[in-house]
Amino acid sequence: MLAFFSDTDCDITPKECAEYGIKLISMPYTVGEKVIYPYVDFEEFDSHAFYDMLRAGTIPTTSAMSEEAYIKIFEPEFAAGNDILYVHFSSGTSNTFTIMDMAVAKLKEKYPARKFWSIDTLGISALSYNVVLEVADLLKAGKTPEEVVEWAKAEVPKFPMYFIADDLKFFRRSGRVSGLAATMGGLIGIRPVIHLDDAGKMVTVGKETGRNKAVARLVQYVEELGEDVQAHRVVIGSSDCPDLVDMAREMLRAKFGDGLRIVETQVNPTIGSHCGPNGLGICFHAKHR
Amino acid sequence: MTETYTMDGPSFAGMLRTGAAVLGREKQAVNDLNVFPIPDGDTGDNMYMTIKTGCEALDAGAPGSVSDTASAVSGRMLLGARGNSGVILSRIFAGLAKGLEGLESAGVADFANAMTFAVKEAYSAVSNPVEGTIITVLREGVAGADSQGDFSRYFNTLLGAMRTSLEHTPELLKVLKDNGVVDSGGAGLVYIVEGMKNAVEGAVDDGSALSPASGQAPSVDLSIFGEDSVLEFGYCTEFLLRLQSSKVDLAGFDEKPLVDWLNSHGESVVAFRDGSIFKVHVHTFHPGEVFNYMQQFGEFLTVKVENMTLQHHQTGNENNAYFRAPAKKYGIVTVASGEGLSEAFRQIGADVVIPGGQTMNPSTQDFLDAFAKVNARHILVFPNNPNIRMAAEQAATLFKGADVDVVPSADFGQGYYGIGSVDRDSDDTDAMLAGVCEVMQNVKTGMVSAAVRDAENGGISIHTGDYVGYSGKTILAGDAVREQAALRLCEALGAASRDVMLVFTGADVPDDEAAATRQKIASAYPNLEIIMNKGSQPVYDYIFVLC
Repeated sequence: MLAFFSDTDCDITPKECAEYGIKLISMPYTVGEKVIYPYVDFEEFDSHAFYDMLRAGTIPTTSAMSEEAYIKIFEPEFAAGNDILYVHFSSGTSNTFTIMDMAVAKLKEKYPARKFWSIDTLGISALSYNVVLEVADLLKAGKTPEEVVEWAKAEVPKFPMYFIADDLKFFRRSGRVSGLAATMGGLIGIRPVIHLDDAGKMVTVGKETGRNKAVARLVQYVEELGEDVQAHRVVIGSSDCPDLVDMAREMLRAKFGDGLRIVETQVNPTIGSHCGPNGLGICFHAKHR
Repeated sequence: MTETYTMDGPSFAGMLRTGAAVLGREKQAVNDLNVFPIPDGDTGDNMYMTIKTGCEALDAGAPGSVSDTASAVSGRMLLGARGNSGVILSRIFAGLAKGLEGLESAGVADFANAMTFAVKEAYSAVSNPVEGTIITVLREGVAGADSQGDFSRYFNTLLGAMRTSLEHTPELLKVLKDNGVVDSGGAGLVYIVEGMKNAVEGAVDDGSALSPASGQAPSVDLSIFGEDSVLEFGYCTEFLLRLQSSKVDLAGFDEKPLVDWLNSHGESVVAFRDGSIFKVHVHTFHPGEVFNYMQQFGEFLTVKVENMTLQHHQTGNENNAYFRAPAKKYGIVTVASGEGLSEAFRQIGADVVIPGGQTMNPSTQDFLDAFAKVNARHILVFPNNPNIRMAAEQAATLFKGADVDVVPSADFGQGYYGIGSVDRDSDDTDAMLAGVCEVMQNVKTGMVSAAVRDAENGGISIHTGDYVGYSGKTILAGDAVREQAALRLCEALGAASRDVMLVFTGADVPDDEAAATRQKIASAYPNLEIIMNKGSQPVYDYIFVLC
């Protein structure tokens, strides 16, 4: 049997996991002294309360998981004779996967007959979510893990995500975005436009003045880069800014019609600790990133 | 009246003090020559503080030569210069000092010649000289003065020509004519020259009857000197003593024994007598003894006693190199009035916010003090007012502790956007600042304020108590209802073609009214992002910053 894993950094919820037969790895974040595992330490993610906490000045930290933690997650599957496919968030934004590789190498010595495939979505949040559900669709349609991994090699680079952020202090603190000007743009309505490049790294591609223009620019990327947009999900990820989501949804519907498969996600707290509140991203199928 | 043909250091000093004293008494009249129907532009205060600071250079006694006196005063005035008119005034005296250079005493022709240097220096101080202002009054006054007689004749004719010129300023500057006033800076200069003329004619006035200027007391942390502290430095003690004829023989009075007594009871003694006034500065551990001793000879006009441990701490702390963190790349200094707007600036990244604005222009010294507090390799200054820019630029050239760039933000909104756009990691300052200026140029600031008097401007008539919407010096809207004035101002500022509007609500606007006004603006301009801030500023009920 195949055990299909994903993680909470991909914005996927336990409810959706149940629907698609996905096992969820919880990526922790820390508030003060307290380490919190999403959907382990709470049932529902209260996005508004979480991002209000950030607005009020409490900024959680995040950390990589231990080798032991990975072994605990994966070993029961190997022991039960299952193979593993893990579709995860970008290895370009965390060193947690180096540790995971070490854990997997150890497990393979112990269970040489078992197989482990991983797909790096080269993204976070809405982008990873989109890829995870594409993989779920393919598996449901009878594709083998090998075929899915081949598909991912060609297709993952065709899922871009462009996003805007409001308060840059979160990004600056984590230092995970290149080309980000160290300005106070959020307070004056000038937001950076950031995207995830082919290596899964966050890169600034410009800035926009005013939320209207900023959201319009994200939608413009969908128009200009999009390929078979209608045949795939368009995922809008957001961190507690329903107004911006409404704006993006309306603009997308105006351009692509009501038939567009728009799915909305809440940016998970672990990634949200780096992106801050009032962020909005759109992931779609495109010619390239 | 005796005719005076020469001027030495002490007599020039007396003229300056008297000039300052006359302006000090009339400064409110100068302030009232306000060309805008809101409280702004306290030219009188700015000029008075400038010349008063200059005169402090003479507190220890005037040098003997007119050259040294003039250069001591102009040097100090440079640091004390506040506001546009204050900076120009400091340049006038700098020119005068240049013209008097090397002279032990000046004849009338020497002085008249030095005044032409003052005119030249004043014109060179402003990049775009506008006629109908202080520089015109000076130039026409100097041209009309008669240097063929004695100093009294010179100053009387100078004053006469300056007054004529001042009365003529509304013909040269439309804004003055529209408001029925003469130029305020020119008027301030006329008062100073009037005082100088009085001194020449024997009526020297040291201005000691004037109350000290407000707004200069530094904040002191009293906790520094605690219950168990040891008095290490004593008290800085200063006073003015009026010698009383009931106590001493004024004609034959010799202050030398008093100075000797001070030296045996304290340190850093600076004491001099000017007529019946005896001015003393001394550091002592027992100020009470000093006062008791001195009261034998007269009565006190003013006294000031400060614990020097507190004084020491104020300056000592900032200079202590051991406690400084590594300098950051960019430090930001700006100017704002009121705690709300100052806090807004601090949140957007200003390191030091100097209190000031239209009604109170910071001096060059204020900027230098602010620069000293910033621990950065490169200091960026946002003056937020064209009248403040010159003082900032003077300070920038004088400061040695870091590179200083003055970014020409003309108003609050430009300053706020400019500071928000500073890339604190940039390695290319020039390119970064070019980007900042580009953002600033696109920023438009408007204000809503209650009118303090009737006005007619740009076809809009305003009555006292109405709400005025304006940008810079241009009135764009007026209405008896605040919200209507705000909405009309938005329209006049071109909100329809803008992307972002920051709103800073003033102290007088209730929260529910601000929220309702925001709602109306939002429905009128659906594409405009409105960012609300509680500025709690006085005077301006709303500040709109559009980008």
